[in-house]
Amino acid sequence: MADAAAGPGGSGTRPGSKQSTNPADNYHLARRRTLQVVVSSLLTEAGFESAEKASVETLTEMLQSYISEIGRSAKSYCEHTARTQPTLSDIVVTLVEMGFNVDTLPAYAKRSQRMVITAPPVTNQPVTPKALTAGQNRPHPPHIPSHFPEFPDPHTYIKTPTYREPVSDYQVLREKAASQRRDVERALTRFMAKTGETQSLFKDDVSTFPLIAARPFTIPYLTALLPSELEIQQMEETDSSEQDEQTDTENIALHISTQNSSLSGSRNGEESIIDNPYLRPVKKPKIRRKKLTLKQVLNSLNIIFDGLAAIVAEPGYR
Amino acid sequence: MPPTGIETSRMNRKKGDKGFESPRPYKLTHQVVCINNINFQRKSVVGFVELTIFPTVANLNRIKLNSKQCRIYRVRINDLEAAFIYNDPTLEVCHSESKQRNLNYFSNAYAAAVSAVDPDAGNGELCIKVPSELWKHVDELKVLKIHINFSLDQPKGGLHFVVPSVEGSMAERGAHVFSCGYQNSTRFWFPCVDSYSELCTWKLEFTVDAAMVAVSNGDLVETVYTHDMRKKTFHYTLTIPTAASNISLAIGPFEILVDPYMHEVTHFCLPQLLPLLKHTTSYLHEVFEFYEEILTCRYPYSCFKTVFIDEAYVEVAAYASMSIFSTNLLHSAMIIDETPLTRRCLAQSLAQQFFGCFISRMSWSDEWVLKGISGYIYGLWMKKTFGVNEYRHWIKEELDKIVAYELKTGGVLLHPIFGGGKEKDNPASHLHFSIKHPHTLSWEYYTMFQCKAHLVMRLIENRISMEFMLQVFNKLLSLASTASSQKFQSHMWSQMLVSTYGFLKSISNVSGKDIQPLIKQWVDQSGVVKFYGSFAFNRKRNVLELEIKQDYTSPGTQKYVGPLKVTVQELDGSFNHTLQIEENSLKHDIPCHSKSRRNKKKKIPLMNGEEVDMDLSAMDADSPLLWIRIDPDMSVLRKVEFEQADFMWQYELRYERDVVAQQESILALEKFPTPASRLALTDILEQEQCFYRVRMAACFCLAKIANSMVSTWTGPPAMKSLFTRMFCCKTCPNIVKTNNFMSFQSYFLQKTMPVAMALLRDVHNLCPKEVLTFILDLIKYNDNRKNKFSDNYYRAEMIDALANSVTPAVSVNNEVRTLDNLNPDVRLILEEITRFLNMEKLLPSYRHTITVSCLRAIRVLQKNGHVPSDSSLFKSYAEYGHFVDIRIAALEAVVDYTKVDRSYEELQWLLNMIQTDPVPYVRHKILNMLTKNPPFTKNMESPLCNEALVDQLWKLMNSGTAHDWRLRCGAVDLYFTLFGLSRPSCLPLPELGLVLNLKEKKAVLNPTIIPETGAGAQESASNAGCHAQLAGFQNPFSSSQDEEEVDMDTVHDSQAFISHHLNMLERPSTPGLSKYRPSSSRSSLMPQHSLGCDIIPPTKPPWSMELSRKGIGKEQPLEMGVHSMVAAPLSVFAKESTSSRHSEHHHHHHHEHKKKKKKHKHKHKHKHKHDSKDKDKEPFAFSSPASGRSVRSPSLSD
Repeated sequence: MADAAAGPGGSGTRPGSKQSTNPADNYHLARRRTLQVVVSSLLTEAGFESAEKASVETLTEMLQSYISEIGRSAKSYCEHTARTQPTLSDIVVTLVEMGFNVDTLPAYAKRSQRMVITAPPVTNQPVTPKALTAGQNRPHPPHIPSHFPEFPDPHTYIKTPTYREPVSDYQVLREKAASQRRDVERALTRFMAKTGETQSLFKDDVSTFPLIAARPFTIPYLTALLPSELEIQQMEETDSSEQDEQTDTENIALHISTQNSSLSGSRNGEESIIDNPYLRPVKKPKIRRKKLTLKQVLNSLNIIFDGLAAIVAEPGYR
Repeated sequence: MPPTGIETSRMNRKKGDKGFESPRPYKLTHQVVCINNINFQRKSVVGFVELTIFPTVANLNRIKLNSKQCRIYRVRINDLEAAFIYNDPTLEVCHSESKQRNLNYFSNAYAAAVSAVDPDAGNGELCIKVPSELWKHVDELKVLKIHINFSLDQPKGGLHFVVPSVEGSMAERGAHVFSCGYQNSTRFWFPCVDSYSELCTWKLEFTVDAAMVAVSNGDLVETVYTHDMRKKTFHYTLTIPTAASNISLAIGPFEILVDPYMHEVTHFCLPQLLPLLKHTTSYLHEVFEFYEEILTCRYPYSCFKTVFIDEAYVEVAAYASMSIFSTNLLHSAMIIDETPLTRRCLAQSLAQQFFGCFISRMSWSDEWVLKGISGYIYGLWMKKTFGVNEYRHWIKEELDKIVAYELKTGGVLLHPIFGGGKEKDNPASHLHFSIKHPHTLSWEYYTMFQCKAHLVMRLIENRISMEFMLQVFNKLLSLASTASSQKFQSHMWSQMLVSTYGFLKSISNVSGKDIQPLIKQWVDQSGVVKFYGSFAFNRKRNVLELEIKQDYTSPGTQKYVGPLKVTVQELDGSFNHTLQIEENSLKHDIPCHSKSRRNKKKKIPLMNGEEVDMDLSAMDADSPLLWIRIDPDMSVLRKVEFEQADFMWQYELRYERDVVAQQESILALEKFPTPASRLALTDILEQEQCFYRVRMAACFCLAKIANSMVSTWTGPPAMKSLFTRMFCCKTCPNIVKTNNFMSFQSYFLQKTMPVAMALLRDVHNLCPKEVLTFILDLIKYNDNRKNKFSDNYYRAEMIDALANSVTPAVSVNNEVRTLDNLNPDVRLILEEITRFLNMEKLLPSYRHTITVSCLRAIRVLQKNGHVPSDSSLFKSYAEYGHFVDIRIAALEAVVDYTKVDRSYEELQWLLNMIQTDPVPYVRHKILNMLTKNPPFTKNMESPLCNEALVDQLWKLMNSGTAHDWRLRCGAVDLYFTLFGLSRPSCLPLPELGLVLNLKEKKAVLNPTIIPETGAGAQESASNAGCHAQLAGFQNPFSSSQDEEEVDMDTVHDSQAFISHHLNMLERPSTPGLSKYRPSSSRSSLMPQHSLGCDIIPPTKPPWSMELSRKGIGKEQPLEMGVHSMVAAPLSVFAKESTSSRHSEHHHHHHHEHKKKKKKHKHKHKHKHKHDSKDKDKEPFAFSSPASGRSVRSPSLSD
């Protein structure tokens, strides 16, 4: 039965493959045939006497995908641990993962009624056509261990630059810079005009001199007064005097102090330097009665502190 | 009108009484202003004021205060409810039924209305009746505390809210509010005595959102959280007696910067602008030092605050111990052009802190002293900071301005004296507005007034020396600071007020010199001097025969008699001669010092001692004269037209070291287009030592000369080779060097030269192609990457240059302008403009200078017919939300479009904007620009000139602009420009009655009919609008009054009227007893008011409308009847008006006392009606006044 099943199996599963000239196809067919033999023997083992061709095919398909899945999964596990060759444990983990009880495997393997199948005939591994090589691959330099992959073909990394004489003529440079800037500006403004609303000076033509539509700002003075990003950048490039920076930091400190003025109870020291009413902390609303008690609390705290200090200062302390 | 009592007291003062007599029967000592709540969303303010006053007369029973647009909830005096009425005749100057449309009539009515509430005449909009319980208290002259609760809802003037419509809390949005106004405008935001002469100490409290800062006058004592910790209260005290008009406020989420040099000075700006603020104010301490040094007086206040806010009313406004600036003055270190301008603003405001805020004025006629001194010391600061050249240039500029203005309009009078009734020699009869009050002045006049004031101060300095001048200032200041530290003593505090008399006395005490002639000439008299000079050299006598003529007959001129300096530069040196200009002497012989001998090579000594070599070949061989200057020191306010030969002007330009002389000679050389002039100008342009402004002026002159000599001109276009040599690369002359603006002089020259070059024209009157290519190349190769400064102004000027190069399009039989027939040169220009304008959207320049220039250039292209004329682009840029400079530029274009295209639609659009735009400055500016560039003038036929427009403008100035003095005066200016003083010609002929009215008014104005005392009465007679204040009370300053007078036309809000009516009747202390019984024990207070805000409340109940309409209806027949009786004897009228002085209705022809009875009758009817209506509608009519108000008062009704 196995033979019967196996005989036409190849052509049955792959009805379209009329020519078996392709070595890769041959290889696949051979493996497939082996699997069919396996399935048939297993069926025999299970006590079947004959099987329909279709069912053998289905079982073969299932077996193939099962084994493929084991292989794929095992490979993943092995790669996960940064190896290239799957080990037994990878397979075991895979099987466990797939819900297979691994412990039953040795017993199954040693079962008495198992059939031994002859090894499939060795067929040629399909050969991948060689890429066109150009030049000699370079050997590894001494600091690279030999097990590292070889260098790729030289044409992929070796270059031979060609130089042109740099333009140093002032006039040309200026000319270039000017026209480049102009082109960029024109392109940019055209783009902005194309993508947004426009106004036009001519009723009949809206595209030759498109003006980006005037759009009112909510806070017009900000854009008008603050230097644009370009200018800021420029300013940074042209040196700013040191003195400015000094006053800046000084003022920033001041400014921070004003912003945090509500928290600045502890900043008494600094405030005595600059006594400006706008820098003083905002007072809490007065509650008549509390004013006195607060003072009293402070007083009593002072007394306590004094007492503590006295105790610490005492020679017998410790 | 000022009652006679005041008039006499004021006249006494004028006659030399040194002390200050208050026009009020009480003295204010202290005022509390407390603003509890500010709502930015609704733009409303709630608060109270408390004035502490001491009566100065025994039977004070009415207190007049100033208040505009505030809603008064309740008034209490010493905790007793007090009745009050509110009447503001300036809300509607002439009443709407009046068909009068002539400006003369309006101006008189307006002046009368303003003086009817003028605090300097003891008047006010708010009149409070002292409760009878306090009469005894008052008689003992004991202190009164007047407590007024008020609110403001969407104020249209005085207080300006800026609330950007973005997401976030008010603080995050940068919402802020600040006080603003022209002259004394504090009454717009809280009730006060809004006079510069009523000083008191202040306590100011402002409760604001915790994220906001309230900046106000005086010392910030403390800041306290409210109980919910969501708001905080700023407590300020101002112990230096200060006038209410100098009180200010700014609230916003300001960033705070303590001046690193002076810790008592604090600067505030809007969020994100702190870096700019730091840079901008970093200079201020030097200004402080300068003023303190020259005045030898410390800054009078203990602190100083500068606040920079958006949508500013004016660029600089100085108030006691704080100044409010436009945020647009802030700039970064990269900006060149704005820096000196901003510093000038800072210095100006600081000068006004000393003179204007700390030292205040006694009356409006003393204003010139303050403006003069502050302007003068500001000038000294200019001299020190920017140098003598800049100072002299500025003086010349100011002098030219005032001369031009006076010659155009007929004179600016610094010290108007208004004697009783001498209308014949009304000092301002040539003007279309009254100069009696600051609030009736045209803004331009006021600017020129300030300009003249400081120039006159400089003349005084010339006379008495600067040292004495500064001593006088020091004396004024030290007197004032002694007085300010005194406790309340009325006679001491008045030392802080300056008067013309006091100032002059001080001058004569300090200097011992008599400057009376000078004062008489320039201060008490208006007009400038116009000299025409020419000369001849008499070789035989070696004498210079100088002829100086004067024109003193044209408007705005006056005759000058006195010394006049003439400087003659001869071969042997420069010699000063002082001529005496007398009545009839025209010719003056001046002996020359040198013989004409120029063969000897000798250096020629100049005025400043310098000796120079000159090429004397151009000279007249017979004459030793190089050049002559008349009044070189500008010690007369004059215009000089002097004739001398072209070579003399050229020598003067080359060798005279005074920048004023150089400028004068440049101006003169325009008339001499010769190669020699060209050479002289080119030499000046190249001379690095020469003042940069002179060189800039030379550029334009050279362009003009080149155009005049176009047929003989040789070589490249003027200035081109010069510019190439100065600013272009050595190797490639068509490429400009990368920008480096470190040398400001050459920066300004580099900016100006292309602009001037673009004015060059070839024989076909076109801009030479070469020049246009040159400018386009400048733009193309402009490279600012290596520059420390921004080039935005430079680029803007390049666009101006492009615009200057545009010449009118050659139009072939009026074809429509399309892209196809665009001139190729214009295409290039347009390309640049488009690119610049679009780039601005992506990388905006400082203050959008480039956009502004682009807009102007587009308008030039439109006007010259290259681009179809269209206003829609400008209109979109004029919208609210654009930067103000852009808006103004766009509006200017729309104004121009309106004129050129005679577009009614655009004119309407502009007028609409004048009424609705949120920014007061823009509204003012539109009017100003329309006046400067009017769509038509009075002598012109125009389709725009029609009745509807007249009505519209009339409405605008009559009632539409009552919330802003400046705007109203602007509207008056425009009306004057369009229609002139008399009735606009486009109106249909007036009916008979009105013609008679006009006559009658003239008769009334005639001083021969009305005796001296009638100054006030005559106003009342001639003016309808002012009648309201005639509800005068029997205080010692006011004459008797028809007590039952109720003018229905001033009752804008009948509901309010009724509620007040009831309040008046009700005596708070005895609620049940005196109800409905008018008490007439003293003089009963009859409500005659237009209460509430200054416009008709938006949600006026319909029945009240009906009511007022009925009221009008009632009067209509009456008016008809009157027409026939207008011709009543004038003498009768005059007598009547002076004696009984009953209040006038807006029917100005109601002069006959015959009418009186009739009027009473119908008035009673009205009253009756009101009462009955009242009962019908008002369930609370009988409740106590307080509760009644809370339900029915107009302040809450909407």
